[in-house]
Amino acid sequence: MRIKLTSIMVDDQAKALRFCTAVFGFVAKHDIPVGEYRWITVVSPEGGDAELSLEPNANPAGRAFQEAMFAQGIPVAAFEVSDLAKEVERLQAAGVVFTQMPTPMGPVSIAVCADTCGNLIQLYQPSR
Amino acid sequence: MPPSARHLTADTLAGLCRARALMRSSGLSVRDAAARTRLSPFQFIRRFHAVFGATPHQLRIAARVDRARRLLALTNRPVTEVCLDVGFSSLGSFSALFARRVGVSPSAYRARVWASTAPQNRAATLYPGCLALMGAAFAILEKQNGGAPVETGGVTANTRPAAPESGCASS
Repeated sequence: MRIKLTSIMVDDQAKALRFCTAVFGFVAKHDIPVGEYRWITVVSPEGGDAELSLEPNANPAGRAFQEAMFAQGIPVAAFEVSDLAKEVERLQAAGVVFTQMPTPMGPVSIAVCADTCGNLIQLYQPSR
Repeated sequence: MPPSARHLTADTLAGLCRARALMRSSGLSVRDAAARTRLSPFQFIRRFHAVFGATPHQLRIAARVDRARRLLALTNRPVTEVCLDVGFSSLGSFSALFARRVGVSPSAYRARVWASTAPQNRAATLYPGCLALMGAAFAILEKQNGGAPVETGGVTANTRPAAPESGCASS
């Protein structure tokens, strides 16, 4: 058993794909229309073989979960970066809003931002 | 926008969330929503867009179209009633907007869902199985490829057939 695929729910798949590629800098791997929705996954250009699926959150149950987590300030996914300060600066310049600026937390430094698709995303950099 | 405006306090975040919920469920105006978050309308719209990726107006339209889809698929109420119910006063502008967002007219959308899905399964077509989309997607791709197996691994395999812009609850 391997962990190769994980997912986040997004309120609009087209918008999510734009944000993930144009702002986060991920690369689209799959984008297949399935009825009214699409099977979309992105991968990191920096390596690793994990895929992130951008799932439509049309289900009211999923939407309730997503909105509650967001309102409580809780991130639903965490991505590792090698230079958190630089990454935060780059993303802020691109218009991304942070709810938590880089903060040391033991073995990692953590920042949290909004992904414009209904989620908070945690970025972390392992301490040297 | 100065860097400080790119940092939201928990209070502002919660206020934006409440405003979003209210604007979707009631007719709360942007001005009133802004007042509740203690921001000027200009700042409210700017921050709302930076956080949710859409203006308050775009979000309200998306919510209306979403509700219309539900009513069309799950009830047999006339299209005109659905149009009025979700807050449009002109059937023409409702139909045009719906077609732009969903890809087909309201009546064609209803006909498609009703023809393809038994009544008890219609809710499921509105609420996709999320990760279950993977199986359906690869089945479709395999069919398009004439039965050739689909490459699922490898970062370079970029499967991108022309995708329509119609997503879920699009903005």
